[in-house]
Amino acid sequence: MAGLTFKNVVKKYDQNVVVHDFNLEIKDKEFLVLVGPSGCGKTTTLRMIAGLEEITSGELYIGDRLVNDVAPKDRDIAMVFQSYALYPHMSVYENMAFGLKLRKIPKAEIERRVREAAHILDIEHLLERKPKALSGGQRQRVALGRAIVREPQVFLMDEPLSNLDAKLRVQMRAEISKLRHRLQTTVVYVTHDQTEAMTMGDRIVVMKDGYIHQVDTPMNLYNHPKNMFVAGFIGSPSMNFLKVKLVEEKGRLWLVNPAFHLPSIEERREALTPYVNKEIIFGIRPEAIYDDAAFLEANPDWVVDVHVDVLEPMGAEHYVYFSLNEENVIARLDATSQAKVLQRHKVAFDMNMARYFDMETQEVIHRPGYQTAY
Amino acid sequence: MNGLGKSWRRHRMAYLFLTPALVVLAILVFYPLVKGILLSMTDMNQYNMGTKFLKASYHFIGLGNYRTILTSPEFWQITKQTIIWTFVNVFFHFSIGLFLALLLNRQFRGRTVYRILLLVPWAVPSFVSAFAWKWMFNYDYGFINLALTKLGLQPIPWLSHPTWAMVAVILTNVWLGIPFMMVTMLGGLQSIPKDLYEAAVVDGANRWQQFWRITLPLLRSVALTATLLGVIWTFNMFNIIFLVTGGGPVHSTEILVTYSYLQAFGEWKFGMASAYGVIILSFLVVFSSVYYRALHQEEKVF
Repeated sequence: MAGLTFKNVVKKYDQNVVVHDFNLEIKDKEFLVLVGPSGCGKTTTLRMIAGLEEITSGELYIGDRLVNDVAPKDRDIAMVFQSYALYPHMSVYENMAFGLKLRKIPKAEIERRVREAAHILDIEHLLERKPKALSGGQRQRVALGRAIVREPQVFLMDEPLSNLDAKLRVQMRAEISKLRHRLQTTVVYVTHDQTEAMTMGDRIVVMKDGYIHQVDTPMNLYNHPKNMFVAGFIGSPSMNFLKVKLVEEKGRLWLVNPAFHLPSIEERREALTPYVNKEIIFGIRPEAIYDDAAFLEANPDWVVDVHVDVLEPMGAEHYVYFSLNEENVIARLDATSQAKVLQRHKVAFDMNMARYFDMETQEVIHRPGYQTAY
Repeated sequence: MNGLGKSWRRHRMAYLFLTPALVVLAILVFYPLVKGILLSMTDMNQYNMGTKFLKASYHFIGLGNYRTILTSPEFWQITKQTIIWTFVNVFFHFSIGLFLALLLNRQFRGRTVYRILLLVPWAVPSFVSAFAWKWMFNYDYGFINLALTKLGLQPIPWLSHPTWAMVAVILTNVWLGIPFMMVTMLGGLQSIPKDLYEAAVVDGANRWQQFWRITLPLLRSVALTATLLGVIWTFNMFNIIFLVTGGGPVHSTEILVTYSYLQAFGEWKFGMASAYGVIILSFLVVFSSVYYRALHQEEKVF
């Protein structure tokens, strides 16, 4: 069992820097998720841990061992590939046993480990089959099994669920979480899907263009995003961003834009004061917009009259789309909502949940109640 | 009978559309094949084949030609030569072709140039290559002997010594046949997903183990098909032998096809030549079906 340490790790392809000065400590037995849009460097980072990509500069430690120049097979890691990368000419059993055979592990021990992993993954009845004769979900399990039998210090998973259909993905997501508790091993998991990241990770590294934007627990990322990118990336549907001017009137701070006039709550005054008479970005999550009568009555200042463009009934809730000052806004309203397409509707923004961002730096202005995870 | 009638009515259109292809096949394949088999059971030759003025007077002699062939020592000698010729050629085509394909499958500077250069033997018309090689093998003026003597070695009687002549035609044909194997193997190599190698690296396989455990097994079906084609083509490779040694000296580089040609257009025994043709055909049919069945059996497991 071991943690991982990145010290100023950089990856360049020719002159292209794909990972910039990466510093991170991954704890032993932690489930760490690297998440970001495609091309953000998350897979490259994972492949550097695996030893499939060379590290251009900086240091990478697995446990206490510097592994920059250690061959993949000697790093004591196992990897699950996006494409599963099962050997098509070998049976499931042989696929799982391959790495152990190469390591000259005694036959009886190989047999024991493969059977046990197959039992855990519920693929015992498939051991004699070739990968071709398996469904996507079964292949996924075999790929996991091949990693498990190795009993490595670190599991590396490269978008392992992205080739599965939506229903299976949800199911396997839960299974991997369960498995991870059972195995008690460090896992580094790459995905572009924020839901996967949120639901599985102990901590999440949000990356973009080769930079780490924020490393935090799922709830901290959701509640206390460090900047607009993280705020927009985590959460579904995404946070709404509206350009507003901050003005001081009648002893309060107001967010003003041609479509609305909203008061900021008193607790933010101090943090926002430097921005008075300047433009800032007002961020509000779809789930922080309400339209029930009680909420509207209780907070008359927060009400905005909008024109509903699109209404998507999701069953438990409605996604309601409207535009304010030519910027699109999505609200996640209760299914009892009376909103109707192409009609005017009153909604209220829960200003307690408002987030503010600097126009220039896109960094969040003040994170009330933020506590680092560790 | 009833079933056939029904299917005829139902698929009338389909049969109509198939007719042109069937007619072409009949003219180009079935007629010559049947005619050849029929001729192989006659004593047809230059004198009795019939001309504009003379009626044909050859006779049906049953399996007479086959009896003559199968009891003649030349036939067995030439069959032995054909088998040696075929397998030595295909062996080197395959091993050198695979070796070059493995080299070309790596990333390196100027890869395209090498790829094109290695295709040259294929691009040059084979009779041009054959004559070029024949000239290189010339005892007195050939490049190879010239090089050998410059190195202080004895010149080799390439085309006048039975064994050396066989070596010479095989060398020529190996050179000619490599590009096909190389290109086919390269295609096969490139169809192996990269991540299998990455998975193998993580699993702890070194280069050698990757080659034996991943590359070769996954190349198998391509390699087997290419080898089958190679065997058929080489078995019937007429022009190289005919142009470089003409089958000589004293039939020592003769193979079944060149010998069959000799029977027809050297000795003018058309019946005999047809019998040789049928024997070649049956060899290849038997070989291919056994080979293919074996291949298919393996394939099922995949």
